[in-house]
This record gives sequence, structure tokens and C-alpha cells, in this order.
Amino acid sequence: MAVGKKDISCPPYVKGREIKAEDIKEGKVTYWEHHPDIRYSFTAGQAISRFLKGLKEGKLLATKCDHCGRIMFPPRMFCELCFRPVDEWCEVKDTGVVETFSVSYIDPDAKPLEEPVIVAVISVDGASPKMGFMHILGEVDPDDVYIGMKVKAVWKSESEREGSVTDIKYWKPLEG
Amino acid sequence: MVFNEKIVDAGELKHIEGKIELYWIYTSGEAGDRFFKALKDEGKFLAAKCTCCGKTYFPPRIYCEYDFSETEFVEISGEGCVRAFAVATLDNNEESLKNPEIYAIIDMDGTDGCIIHLLGEMDAEDIRVGMKVKPVLKSKEEREGRITDILYFKPV
Amino acid sequence: MLMEIERIKGLNFHKKQDVAIVGAGITTFKRRLNETGKELSYYAVKQALEEAGLGIEDIEMVVMGSAPDAFDGLHMKGEYLLDGSGGSDRPYMRVFVGGGTGVFAPIAGYWHVASGLADVCLVVCEEKMSSCHPHPQSAFKYIWDPILDRPLQPNLIWIFALEMRRYMHVNNIKHEDIALVSVKNKANALDHPAAQLAERITVEDVLNSEPMALPVRRLDVSPPSDGASALIMVAPHIARQLTDDPVWVAGVGWALDTTWWTNRDLYFPRYVAEAARMAYKMAHITEPRKEIDVAEPYDPFDYKELHHMEGLGLARKGEAPILTREGVTARDGDLPTCPSGGLLGVGNPIAATMGVKVAELYWQLAYRAGKRQVAKEVTRGVAQAWGDLMQVGTVVVLSNKR
Repeated sequence: MAVGKKDISCPPYVKGREIKAEDIKEGKVTYWEHHPDIRYSFTAGQAISRFLKGLKEGKLLATKCDHCGRIMFPPRMFCELCFRPVDEWCEVKDTGVVETFSVSYIDPDAKPLEEPVIVAVISVDGASPKMGFMHILGEVDPDDVYIGMKVKAVWKSESEREGSVTDIKYWKPLEG
Repeated sequence: MVFNEKIVDAGELKHIEGKIELYWIYTSGEAGDRFFKALKDEGKFLAAKCTCCGKTYFPPRIYCEYDFSETEFVEISGEGCVRAFAVATLDNNEESLKNPEIYAIIDMDGTDGCIIHLLGEMDAEDIRVGMKVKPVLKSKEEREGRITDILYFKPV
Repeated sequence: MLMEIERIKGLNFHKKQDVAIVGAGITTFKRRLNETGKELSYYAVKQALEEAGLGIEDIEMVVMGSAPDAFDGLHMKGEYLLDGSGGSDRPYMRVFVGGGTGVFAPIAGYWHVASGLADVCLVVCEEKMSSCHPHPQSAFKYIWDPILDRPLQPNLIWIFALEMRRYMHVNNIKHEDIALVSVKNKANALDHPAAQLAERITVEDVLNSEPMALPVRRLDVSPPSDGASALIMVAPHIARQLTDDPVWVAGVGWALDTTWWTNRDLYFPRYVAEAARMAYKMAHITEPRKEIDVAEPYDPFDYKELHHMEGLGLARKGEAPILTREGVTARDGDLPTCPSGGLLGVGNPIAATMGVKVAELYWQLAYRAGKRQVAKEVTRGVAQAWGDLMQVGTVVVLSNKR
């Protein structure tokens, strides 16, 4: 074994050659660019297939665990806390409460959006407390959104619905 | 119990299709940059020799992976010997290739390393393991500093 | 239940030997580096070996930590990085818990040595985010649930913005108080040679910076980076031969909360609290605020440092912003926090942040941090990271007393 620790205060030096995006574009450094064509087909499984079918019918479906009593939304086939199968299907309301929200100015690729989107975690009425659901808010000014605001789902027309979370266009403030 | 009320009609089960819309730009790194620039600008082949154990890496690296010493660049001829070869009749997507491609592992002269590349200007029946080959490069104007600047290797 | 099982382990496990850290290395952290991931790993390992006074031939086993393959654009990234990480011809493994990897990799290094399987273990962490296009953040599109989340076109920052808003709401915290963390860490980073975003800024700069997903603004966020870091962990009899002042691993802990992230109350990081409970139990720490001298909580966002301090028990719920405002967390304060400059200042090459978390703690406790050395006398410190679908907490407690 090599012996003796060098007396250095760390890090004494750091290596690495910084380059700019332009250096690549202008060919100052050599590189290889790869655009693979990768596709996936993701099965929804038992619980979510039924949930998506419910959305098409304009219903929000949940499942219940009789052991802990939780009504879980979105539904699942097993209770992850009790680790046992769920006991029954039930319907929850299409109204809820904003738990938290954000006003997003960027798209998934971090590019600026023309119009900001308001995204929220909504506790849906009829499900157990804190069964949050992430979705978009609409028909409201970003400055008027607050935590605790009551909201209601705005559905696409029956013919437009295709069994996707986007069958709900957005959630709007519940008047009164 | 819900667990037993499974959906059995396959038409009722949903799936979602999607595409991974990412692409990657890989810089060739400190050693790779030297290697590809020498290939592009001068048509030369570089390898890297460990300053401690003398092992010569091809393609070059800035370090020796066994004793973690620095390396120094050395010029090599680019010629080598076929260690193994394969005749590809299908492409990446398992479609038939009109002209089968011959791929080989080529042990590079003067190094402990090798390269995987195409063989050209020969028939598959004529290739032997141990055969001497040399690289055929694109013309200087066409070269981009990539592995495809080498068109193929042909018999010496 | 048939048996009564103690859920949080930490005390009654069979350890073959104590574990010391004797060397660390880090590369520069930058938005875009020319080096390949292997070359970056080599730089970091070389520096760690030099500090420890060891050669690669002395290394018995190697642990590699690296976050999603999608960044480098290479499947089996652990295998790809092997030769630059000193893994050739040795037992080698890669560990991965998303952003938590930077602290999880040293935890895995700890198992290797504490179990007696290895006396000298090298831990290497690497990330090269710049390869991924159109933007490193694009890789995060594919961590969302493909059916429930992806159709909404989410950006990962949404989660953090939602969590930050909830944290501010429940504890009644203003953005001004949170921005102080960014101001502190970016200034601390001025003394770090690896730093990418070291600068003197003001609270107003943060509040007026470009909105990303409100309340998150540009200067609330750490940048994507390329970089690597390394640590050398050894058994006591090896440490004795190498140095008079090794730094000991006093405790490790990790925990994950449910993947149904919208089902949690986001204002408090339970996953960190559970992980810390395990690490503190192992380290015999009962009052973290009094017994911890220096902290490196994970700070990819400014509110996250505060959130994690509360999870680590270094502040009561909602108290972390007050400690920050009072200067307690400054480098010359009573509880210096992120003296390295953290991810906000030094950069955020996901797993490689081991270099500003565990490695920084090692340098602080070995009194080798140079200009970054905290003012107070230090004995014990805690480093922590967080990741996956914001559900994992990884915690390491180090001490310069055995």
C-alpha cells in the first residue's frame, strides 16, 4: 500500500474543460448526435383502465380499503399501506379543494409558454382527506387562486371524451 | 372482492402509446477530441500509451484504466489484423440488407487495442482471421471528425 | 401481526468494523464540459487517491452512483463508466435513487466496509446532463406517470412549485425569507473552485428573476451541470496507516415515501425525517440541533434547504427561515448550513453532488476546507440528499471523533 497522505487543503484544483453550445454548433469540438426512435406502449392495468372508462362516462371512480377505511383516488387495486386488495369501487364527486397550486411559464422542455398554465393539487370531495389529484385550473385569474379554493371539473362534451385525464378540460372555481 | 372482479375483456383494458422525444449530443471528450481532430485534419491515427505500464490504448484515453496513470499520445499506422468478423444480413430493425455488411474486430498494430468497423473491397469468403487490413478514409473535405470518416478497412 | 418488529433499525445491527473517510475529489461543475463521463470520473478519483495517499491498486471494491441513464443517453451507464471509475477487475456496483444518489452512494460504500467485505472502498459519482437534448429537463418528462400525469404536459418544476407553495402556506413563510438561502449559498460558492453559479445577489434579484413555475423563479433553482466526485472509505486499521485525523461515518439512514406524491402533505419531508431518525439513532444523536455542528442539506431549490433542515430536526417546523434570517446558518453562524455553496451555487450534476454534500462535510470535519472552513469548532455534521419522485431521503452523519 502506498503510504503517506499528501498535505492538501481540498479541493486544491478542479479539472474539466468548459465549452459553450456554440462550440458544438461551430464544430470546435468533435461530437456525435443521435436521434433514436424509441416508442412505448404502456398498459393501464386493471384499476386505471376502469378509471379511464369512468372518465369517458363523466364519472370519477375510486376504490376503498375496508381495513384502513381509505377511499383512494385515483383508484388502485391494492392498498399500499395495508398491503391487501381493495374491497369495493365507489364514485367520488367532481368537485374539490385546491391544496396547492403553481403558475407555470414553461413547457416540459423548459421552453417559455405563450400563456402561463395554472396547475394545482386538488383534494377531490368524497375521497379520503389529502387524496390529491394533479390537474389544470381554468376560468380564473392566476392572482385570484388561493389554497382552500373550492373548484369543479369542467368536462369535455361526451362525444369528445376519449378515456384520458384530459377528458376534464380543467377545474374552475365553484361559485357561491 | 374487487380483486376477483377483474376485467377479462381485452377490449376494456386500456393502453397508452408514446414516444421518447429526446436526442443526445455526445462530445467525444478530451482524448476523443484529439483522436478525431487528427483523423479529420491530417488523416492520422492516434493511440495513447500509459506512462507507467506502457500499455497502449486504442482508441486513445487520457488515463490508464489499470494503474490510473496519465497517458501520452502516439501516432500509429492505422493498419491492423482481423481478430474476428461477422456478416450482417439484417439491419437494426431486422430488415434484410440488400448488400450484406461485413463487420470485424481489428487489432490495431502497435497498440493493445482494437476497433470494430466495416470491411470492404473483399468478399466474405476471402476473409481470414489474422488477415492484414488498412483503413480507407473519406476525402479530407468530407471528413467530419467522426468514426464514419473511416469508410471501411481493406486488405493490405 | 405475529412479531413486534422495530421499524427503524440503526442500533442493533452487526457491524464488523468502523468506517473512515480518508480522501475526496471533485471536478469542476459546469453547464457543459467537453470531457466524457469516464474522463470526469477519472479526474475525481485521481484527486481522491492523491488526498488519501493511495494508488488504484489499493482499492478493493468500487461503488458507482449515477442518476437516470436518460441524461448521458447511455443505457447501463454504470458499466459504461467502469473503466474511468477504477472498476476494472474488481467488485463494482452502481446504486441509484434519483437525486438522492449523491448521498446514497456513500451509504452503499459504508455497507461494503462496515460489513468487512472490503477494507478500502472507492465511491464515485458522475453525471453528464448536457448530452441530453432539447434540454436536460426534457429527460424528466419520462419520470411522470404516463397515463395520469403526462397528458397534462407537466414540467418537473411543477412538483417543486406545488411543494414550495404548500410549505409557504402552512408555515406562513414569505418568498423573501426563502430567497435568503439562494443569496447565502451563491455567495458561499464564491470560495469553491468547482462553482458554476457563484455570485453576489440580493433578495430582490431572486424575487425579480424570470418566473418558471410560480412561486419558483429562475434564481430559486440550481442549474443543470456536468461533473463528478469521489470518496475513499476505509477500515480503521487502514485509516491509521494513512492519517492522524480521519473522519468517521457515525450513522447512515434512508427512507422512501409513497410514489402517490399527491397523497402526501407536501409541507413536511417525512422521508427525510425517517431517514434522519435511522442515522441519528446509529450515531447516538438525540438532539440534532445541539449535537450537529455543520450541515449540508440538499438544496436544489432554495426552499428545499429549509424544508430539509426541518426534516433533519435541525429546526422546528417553520423555524428554518427564521434561523436563516438570523444568520445562524451562515458560514460563521452557530449552525453553518451549505458552507460549500450547495447545489444553488456550485451546481447540480445530480449524483455528483456528493462532492458538495458528503465530501464537503468530510473536508469541513477534517479542517481541510480552506477558505470555506466554517468559523466554529466542528465535531459532527450531517449531509442529506433527496430524489426519486421527491420521495427519498438519504442521510449520512460524519464525525471527527470515533
